[in-house]
Amino acid sequence: MAENKMKAERELIAKTAEAEAEPTSGAPEPTADEELEIPRDAGAVVRRLWTVSSGEHWRFAVVLVSVVCYAASSIAAPAYSAHLIDLLWANIQEAFAAGHTFSIGWDTGGREVLGLLGIWTLAWVFYTIQNFTMASFAERLNLKLRHRLAEKLNVLPLKFYDAHKPGDIMSRATNDLDKVSEVLQRGLLSMLIAVGSVTGAIIMMLRYNVVLTAVFLVFACAAVLMTRIVAKRTLVYAARQQHAVGVLTGHVEEAYSGRIVIKAFNQEHASSERIHAATSELADAMRKTDFVTNVVAPMVRCLVRFSQVILALMGTGFLLQGQLTIGTLQAFFQYVNTAAEPLTQFSLTMNQLQSALAAVERVFDILDEEEIEPDPAEPAAVPRPVRGRVAFEHVRFGYDPSHPLMHDVNFTAEPGQKVAIVGATGAGKTTLINLLMRFYEIDGGRITLDGVDTRTMTRADLRRNFGMVLQDAWLREGTIAENIAYGAPDATTDEIVQAAKTAQVDFFVRTMPHGYETELANDAESISQGQRQLLTIARVLLANPSILILDEATSSVDTRTEKAIVTAMEKLTQGRTSFVIAHRLSTIVDSDLILVMDHGNIIEQGTHDELVAAGGAYAELYQSQFA
Amino acid sequence: MKTLLRFMKPYRLQVAGVLFSLAINLVGVLLVPTILANMINIGVSTGNFDYIMSQAGVMLAAALISGAGAFVCNYLCADLSTRVGRDIRNAVYDASLAFSGGDFEEFGTGSMITRTLGDVNVIQQAITMAIQMMLPVPFAAIIGIALACSIDLQMGMLLGGFIAVVGVIAVVTVKRAAVIFQKLQRFIDRMNVRLRESITGVRVIRAFGKEATERKSLDEAFETYAESAIKVNWIFATFDCTTFLIMNFAEVAIMWLGGNRVGAHAMEIASISACIEYAMLVLFFIMMAQISALMLPRAFVCLERCRQVIDHAPSIADGPQTALIAAKTTEAAQSADDIVAHFGNASFRFADADEDTLHHINFLCRRGTTTAIIGPTGSGKSTIAKLFLRFHDVTDGFVRICGTDVRELTQEALRAHVSYVPQKAWLFSGTIADNLRYGKPDATEDELWHALDVAQSGFVRELPDGLNSRVAQGGTNFSGGQRQRLSIARALVRPADLYIFDDSFSALDFKTDAALRHALADEVSGAAVLIIAQRINTILNADQIVVLKDGCIQGLGTHAELMRTCPAYQEIARSQLRAEELEELMGDAEQGDGHEKGGE
Repeated sequence: MAENKMKAERELIAKTAEAEAEPTSGAPEPTADEELEIPRDAGAVVRRLWTVSSGEHWRFAVVLVSVVCYAASSIAAPAYSAHLIDLLWANIQEAFAAGHTFSIGWDTGGREVLGLLGIWTLAWVFYTIQNFTMASFAERLNLKLRHRLAEKLNVLPLKFYDAHKPGDIMSRATNDLDKVSEVLQRGLLSMLIAVGSVTGAIIMMLRYNVVLTAVFLVFACAAVLMTRIVAKRTLVYAARQQHAVGVLTGHVEEAYSGRIVIKAFNQEHASSERIHAATSELADAMRKTDFVTNVVAPMVRCLVRFSQVILALMGTGFLLQGQLTIGTLQAFFQYVNTAAEPLTQFSLTMNQLQSALAAVERVFDILDEEEIEPDPAEPAAVPRPVRGRVAFEHVRFGYDPSHPLMHDVNFTAEPGQKVAIVGATGAGKTTLINLLMRFYEIDGGRITLDGVDTRTMTRADLRRNFGMVLQDAWLREGTIAENIAYGAPDATTDEIVQAAKTAQVDFFVRTMPHGYETELANDAESISQGQRQLLTIARVLLANPSILILDEATSSVDTRTEKAIVTAMEKLTQGRTSFVIAHRLSTIVDSDLILVMDHGNIIEQGTHDELVAAGGAYAELYQSQFA
Repeated sequence: MKTLLRFMKPYRLQVAGVLFSLAINLVGVLLVPTILANMINIGVSTGNFDYIMSQAGVMLAAALISGAGAFVCNYLCADLSTRVGRDIRNAVYDASLAFSGGDFEEFGTGSMITRTLGDVNVIQQAITMAIQMMLPVPFAAIIGIALACSIDLQMGMLLGGFIAVVGVIAVVTVKRAAVIFQKLQRFIDRMNVRLRESITGVRVIRAFGKEATERKSLDEAFETYAESAIKVNWIFATFDCTTFLIMNFAEVAIMWLGGNRVGAHAMEIASISACIEYAMLVLFFIMMAQISALMLPRAFVCLERCRQVIDHAPSIADGPQTALIAAKTTEAAQSADDIVAHFGNASFRFADADEDTLHHINFLCRRGTTTAIIGPTGSGKSTIAKLFLRFHDVTDGFVRICGTDVRELTQEALRAHVSYVPQKAWLFSGTIADNLRYGKPDATEDELWHALDVAQSGFVRELPDGLNSRVAQGGTNFSGGQRQRLSIARALVRPADLYIFDDSFSALDFKTDAALRHALADEVSGAAVLIIAQRINTILNADQIVVLKDGCIQGLGTHAELMRTCPAYQEIARSQLRAEELEELMGDAEQGDGHEKGGE
């Protein structure tokens, strides 16, 4: 029976094809040690998967019944064909003895031949049933898990996002789950079938001849042992290959990103040598992995063939003694093939199954991540429109609770005031914003908006009052108009255009091929950083929040655009409380309140003149540029 | 295909070996049932146990040979595909080294990485697949039909017929499946885009309270993917079941015809099973081939993408001179030696642009002076630096280093005279010392520390491992400012006639920026310095400032001169500074007005 073999090999191909599909599709990097993973608690993962797949359990019932029937009929077929051959042989010998030739007629074997077709057709029916039943099982299960992930993404704290690379999170939702579906789709079914067929085949073999079966079983055990050993080697080589891939990827990425430096410093030769060494290392590792992985099946088959030689020898002996017929001997050989083929894949399939369970476990890990505190059951009402008074009172915070960053932060922004936040990278400017927006929760003290503790509000209510323009100007796939109207989906076209005009980006949008209907794709890479920031300003303008958070653009923006941004931001800040992470002197000097931050704490606060007069850190910073 | 042959060529021996061992393997595989049939046919009818023994010996030999063939074929296949993969990777990378900036940007870093790694993986995989899964088909079909014919001509024809039918079905299915596979790929991309968006945009999404909308669109992406993935599974299932059915028909047909042929004395009874075995094996190989055939179109696309890189002719070729100033030193013309770099009426246009990026640029950099270039993004500042390094070539006019046209020199000889700090500070994995020695491999530790001090990189002293501290790929374990300072130090370690700082101070805070410029002034006094900047305070004290806008020089002079005469410069100053500061600076700059002017 070639079906098992085919299934198993297809699984291999599909697997490699899938693994290799990743780089070109722009998908995240596959997680390292692809082959080495072992679930921490396989039982728990399986139980949980079982719960997740509730509603699809009927499929298992159908498949189980169908597998049994399929195995029974496909096991019956060789036995029947043995009988058939014997019958034909008898009829033929009879005919020969009578001195004429023989040809199959309805009564001289034709009925039985069609009977064989009947048995095979029965097998085919069950084969078809189980295939189609399982065709959608794995993907449905995946979809359920993906839905749960999508749900979870909304309740994960920012802490989680800041601690994990986007690629890492993505690969769990895509690669990991694909691996699961691959194994469930093909592996599970072919394993069930294999179990059924092997059991059935061995029973039949025992019925024909115990001695021959015993000989076969000895060889089968040897084959299993061999695949186990090879599978272990495979894991070692695969790990080596994974390592080599990592090294090469690192070298190549760094060489391409730093190619200007390589050329400027005349390091082409050295760099080429470095890459060649890495590619050779990888080629060597891959050769071994490929070889070991691919050689298992032929070697097992070879072993099986040795067993066939011995079986053939003994079998014909039994045949001569009359203990076997031609048909039964040949049937026996068919059972040998049926029982032997799954052995070639046995260990590899086990490895795959383990790695799939480990992948599911990683997905469950995300689903089990700590969630943000739920909003209070009876949230405090927020006065609307808010006046925009923001106060930090004895705020204490640390990203890692054991290493507090902010010890005691206090300041008050009065409605309509412009607050500039200055300080070196890592001084805590962004942290302040994170706390204000409740992306992170404070460890002590309180933050109030118009006198109301922000923790007593729902997050949605709180955030509704804020507009953010960040340096990393995030735009979504969709049209420009959709992006501008992101915070106000009901906005009319006129309102959108008006916002764009105020944000100084209307002219630019009109130069785009389809104006406001231009689709932004591929991370909107066709749009410069400056224009992106203007679009995000327009987005905030349209949402019309009472309080603003602005991260000024630094060097990546040209002066003309920068001027446009300054103008747009000025328009934006009119009449609103604003927090500006400042890089420009003009902003700092004009603000109503300057917060000078260092190592998470506010070390000075006041107006420009007050701070210069005080002669502290701010004064020094301010002076330094004229040195 | 040609490209593939080119890379296969060095490995003709392996290819021949693969073909040979594969043939041996398949002959062995197909002989086993044939011999078994012989044993039964002759052995049983004659009762000759010796014959059976001898046949068993032959069978053992066949199994052994077949196994050995499979073993060798597998080894050679792995060897061949990985070597070809390695060679393609090397060729792609080496080709990229000769690329000019423009050549490289045509492809883009991301795409180049994919071409070097992922694309080659696909190619390599396809080679393996072709050898393991597709190549056996013709061999198996021919051997199978031949063996069947040797048993009985009619059986051979029946077998040929079934092979033809399944072959046609396989081709049709491949064509259909290929289309859906491409669609599936698009859905995967879409899923990735949506996921990436929801993750990278999490702050904005939450700020706008759009969690529900994003979740919905994410769910939609998941659903469309699941739908078509299921569709693909259905196609596979359909194909699977159809082939299964055909195999059943084949078996029964062979049985029926075989019975008749045995009855007609045309063949022996046990040969029926042998023929069934042939049919199953060949059909099996066709099915395997069909699945792997789905990979081929993609592999060819990948191969083509690699070829584009390998065959891309670099737009910048080396000049004949491998060394500078062989004549110059003897001549020792002081004024010529004084002029380190010279832009003479130089214009530049990108290959795909309609307009010049730089128009008739003229300026000189003299030894011991600092030249600054300021202007908005897109004005062509960085392009000037890249022209000095010959990452691009001028389209008109000339660029000279120490009196020699840069195009006369080999790129290596040219770059030996220039030390460059790129806009994006990039460090390589290794130690800090490795990175600093990048420009001067034999630099002593003292030299390194000195450069670090000048570059205000005192933080290195505080690191537990000092110069031997590990640098992660790209230098990501250091902050932007630290990277930039290390990158400056690296450039300073290298002796050069011209130091170029391409917007290298932007990630530094005001204070460090100022301190660094002070220290730098003494350090590079023997060379010419070119600073490209956006911040006006970075360049206030330069000996000459080139004001660039839209690729044209708008003004050239000291800060004070430009404040008086150059409107473009005034505009920049105004946008960055407040009125009082401007006045203060005017005063400052006027004091420095006595400096020697460097321009033409």
